Amino acid sequence: MMLSDEHVNYIIRDVSYRGIVDEELSEELIDHICVLVEQKMENGLRFIEAYDQTITTFSAEGSLVDIQNQTIAYTNNNTRIMIRNYFKIAIRNLVKHKFYAGINVLGLSVGVACSLLIYLFIKHETSYDKFHGNSDRIYRIIRHGSINGNEFHYPVCPAPMANGLVSELPDVEQAVRFRNRGTFLVKTPNGTESYKEDGLTFTDSTFFDLFSFRVTEGDPKTALNRPLTIAISAEAAEKYFPNVSALGKTLVLDGDEDFEVTAVFENMRKNSHLQFDFLMSLATIEEANNSMWLSNNFFTYIRTAPDVNKTELTEKISEFYGQKADPELQKYMGITGEEFLAAGNSISLELQPLEEIYLTSDFIFDIGPTGSEETVYLFAIIAIFILSLACINFMNLSTARSANRAKEVGVRKALGSVRAHLIRQFLLESIILSLFAFGIGLILVVLTLPLFNQLADRELLVPLDSIYFIFLLFTAAVITGIIAGTYPAFFLSSFKPTNTYKGTSTQSVGNANVRSGLVIFQFFVSILLIIGTVAVNRQLDFIQNKKIGFQKEQVLLIDDAYMLSDSRNTFKKEVNELSSVLSTTYSGFLPINGYYRNDNTYWKKGLNPDETNTVNSQMWTVDHDYVKTMGMNILEGRDFDRAIVSDSNAVILNEEAMKQFGFENIEERYIQTHAFNANDGSIISGEYVVYKVIGVIEDFHFESMKENIAPLALRIGRSTGIMSVRLSTNDFSGSIDQIEEKWQKFGTGLPFNYSFLDDQFERMYREESRLARVFGIFAGLSIIIGCLGLFALATFMAEQRTKEIGIRKVLGASVSGIVFMLSKEFSKLVIIAFLIAAPVAWWGIANWLENYNYRVEIGVELFLLGGIMAFVIALLTVSYQSIKAAARNPVKSLRSE
Amino acid sequence: MHSPELLKGTLQTIILKLLADHGKMYGYEITQKVRDLSDESLQLTEGSLYPTLHKLEAQGLLKTKKISLGKRVRKYYFLTSIGQNTAIKKVEDFEAFIKTMFRVLQISPQSI
Repeated sequence: MMLSDEHVNYIIRDVSYRGIVDEELSEELIDHICVLVEQKMENGLRFIEAYDQTITTFSAEGSLVDIQNQTIAYTNNNTRIMIRNYFKIAIRNLVKHKFYAGINVLGLSVGVACSLLIYLFIKHETSYDKFHGNSDRIYRIIRHGSINGNEFHYPVCPAPMANGLVSELPDVEQAVRFRNRGTFLVKTPNGTESYKEDGLTFTDSTFFDLFSFRVTEGDPKTALNRPLTIAISAEAAEKYFPNVSALGKTLVLDGDEDFEVTAVFENMRKNSHLQFDFLMSLATIEEANNSMWLSNNFFTYIRTAPDVNKTELTEKISEFYGQKADPELQKYMGITGEEFLAAGNSISLELQPLEEIYLTSDFIFDIGPTGSEETVYLFAIIAIFILSLACINFMNLSTARSANRAKEVGVRKALGSVRAHLIRQFLLESIILSLFAFGIGLILVVLTLPLFNQLADRELLVPLDSIYFIFLLFTAAVITGIIAGTYPAFFLSSFKPTNTYKGTSTQSVGNANVRSGLVIFQFFVSILLIIGTVAVNRQLDFIQNKKIGFQKEQVLLIDDAYMLSDSRNTFKKEVNELSSVLSTTYSGFLPINGYYRNDNTYWKKGLNPDETNTVNSQMWTVDHDYVKTMGMNILEGRDFDRAIVSDSNAVILNEEAMKQFGFENIEERYIQTHAFNANDGSIISGEYVVYKVIGVIEDFHFESMKENIAPLALRIGRSTGIMSVRLSTNDFSGSIDQIEEKWQKFGTGLPFNYSFLDDQFERMYREESRLARVFGIFAGLSIIIGCLGLFALATFMAEQRTKEIGIRKVLGASVSGIVFMLSKEFSKLVIIAFLIAAPVAWWGIANWLENYNYRVEIGVELFLLGGIMAFVIALLTVSYQSIKAAARNPVKSLRSE
Repeated sequence: MHSPELLKGTLQTIILKLLADHGKMYGYEITQKVRDLSDESLQLTEGSLYPTLHKLEAQGLLKTKKISLGKRVRKYYFLTSIGQNTAIKKVEDFEAFIKTMFRVLQISPQSI
């Protein structure tokens, strides 16, 4: 028989009355009991008797609740419940204190975003050239030294070095050379349009053996054996020979040289310091075969045999070089190697490991773009600073809020929580916040990366598809959460329950001290970054506005003027006639780093040249209008004159050259040098070239201001790489249109490439400007993070002291008095931070400025400026809350006691 | 009646084996089945049956299906695929255990 609904309801009520709350279990038990009762009723018992019997015998071991307890104990994992509980409480807490939690998450996520960006940057910068097989055995040979007191550092070597080392030193397994010849105009034989390319170099056929760039078409072993062969990147192949195989095709360089494409290689990786799209065989150029040991034009890379000691090999190579160079020293300078060294000169060769080239190179010129180790370190430090600022905010806020949670701790302890539980609870809360912040930070990074890439001139990517990266991020979030949460966790959990009820533990002195220390640290970092930013900007400003000895404004540079060949002079004449043009000049030598340079040894005519009386001077080939167009100042003598034929053997010296030659004035002064064989660049002994000094030009900067102004001479000659045009107006686009029209008239189909002298000038300091901008942004962010923390802290303090302020006002305190009282404490902290930060900043800036030979004076005002800025920002942050608290009606704050 | 102490270690094996043989069963049915099979010498108590059932369910060896009987709900248990494998293994383990016990206690099975 079946029980009636009424009976079932009775049982349901009774079971629930007996304390069964687990729904799943109670359903089953009720069913079970019902079946038993039904059986007993079938045996003739009344419902109530049957039920009584059933319930007493139901569980031989105890009551229904015991079954329930047993079930819960069996099925539920205690830790899981506990952790779920932690989560629940943590989330409730965070939701309840939205303001603080929001500020915490915001500050931390901005901090995380900054650090993450910097991490990506550093990772990219340190990843260069690690992908080559045997990269630990590949070195570049570089030279340092000093001749006649002129120091030099060059990443290039003599032409015969590479092959000499491979054939004579068994330690050197393979070598490859590069010779850069600047930009070329490239076109296909049938194409009408040429493109200006700058990723070109001449290199040995061993290139693909030494470096691991994959060749997709052609034979890497033989590709660059013959003269006039070229290997091109996949990108270049697609550009010039779209949709067909480039192999065997022809490329025309600079309009007259036909190169056969013998290989196509995969585009060079972004993190390679070698960035070329075109590799021409070195066999093409005569210069590759010369045997001069004193002329250095070739970037030389070697691969050593396995297990070769770098230091020993360096010695062997130096010795080898000494032996080879000695005969030439004797032949041309008349001294032996020993005498050369005895005179205080030195040349030393060094092996630069491949993987370090990108970060550690700091040469005036280099084979490709290089980075800077200092920037990487600086950024790493900034990243750590910013993250620690964000963490400190977090700790500060959490401990500050301890007052509100003190009672919670007390109650929990009274109810039997042990300290470990509380620590776990608080740590979990901070880890949740941290995970949350990392999530937002990651989103921020994804959003701001394009901007950062533009700013830092990189192509970074967030490796979202890398599990390793996500795991790393997750771990970092947990660790950050633990670090940031440890102090509050241990601090809060140490409260004694009785004290929390009385309210004494919230006024703990030690707590306030730690908090002050952290605020001081935050402002220390902010002030440091402010002063740093201002100093870098000042130096940049100084460089850009310093009197540089020529007028860089309003000068247009037209590239590849040599392509006009014979129409060159007519073009110049017609451009000159334009109303917006003041003057024009042909010369590839420009007072900007990266343009043509030519230096040689000169001496006063009549002297017997030795190492003490020769001067290593730049000799620039210019035309008659150069000085005028560049806006340089003649101090003494005269400019070149077309009417005076003998000017073809005249020079104009700069002040530095005058000083080094020991000339007082220009009367009857001559300098001379060896004559050179025009074909292979070797010195013709016994023959000399003599120049008459006709003028002195004011010193002008022609390299970065990190370098001193070196001796320099101008002479008349043909150098047609670039035409410089001085404009008389600021209507640049109009002038450019006019000039381009003329250009098209003479050089149909040739690309019209131009730039401005002042832009090129600024390009020299691109790294510095970039540094300044990035530095400025991060400094700003760190200040914002710091202020965010300070703001929250001030809010909290004001809240804490609401009653105190109320009473003070009732007793007659003025609003300004109270604002002063509240701001005083923070001001003290900022001043202490300033006192610590100023000397550190001074030390750092002085160190950085050491790099520059021409640098701005850093005075006290800079430091004061930084300090005052930080102070004002802090005061504004704090005063908002102070004024709000002080202006509040005391009736309201005191009523609810 | 056997001592409940002896039953304790074998409860899971019994439940799994029963469900493997009979498909789905509910709590009362299981106690009855055990009683019948053991000629009333084994009596499962509710106090040990239900906690064990819930534990097996939490471990993923059992699944449940509820059938409504008017006001009451009857909950049937059946094996998951993991539960089926475990049932076979537990029975094998127990068989091996008994054989070992026979040797250890020097009982001859024929004497029963």
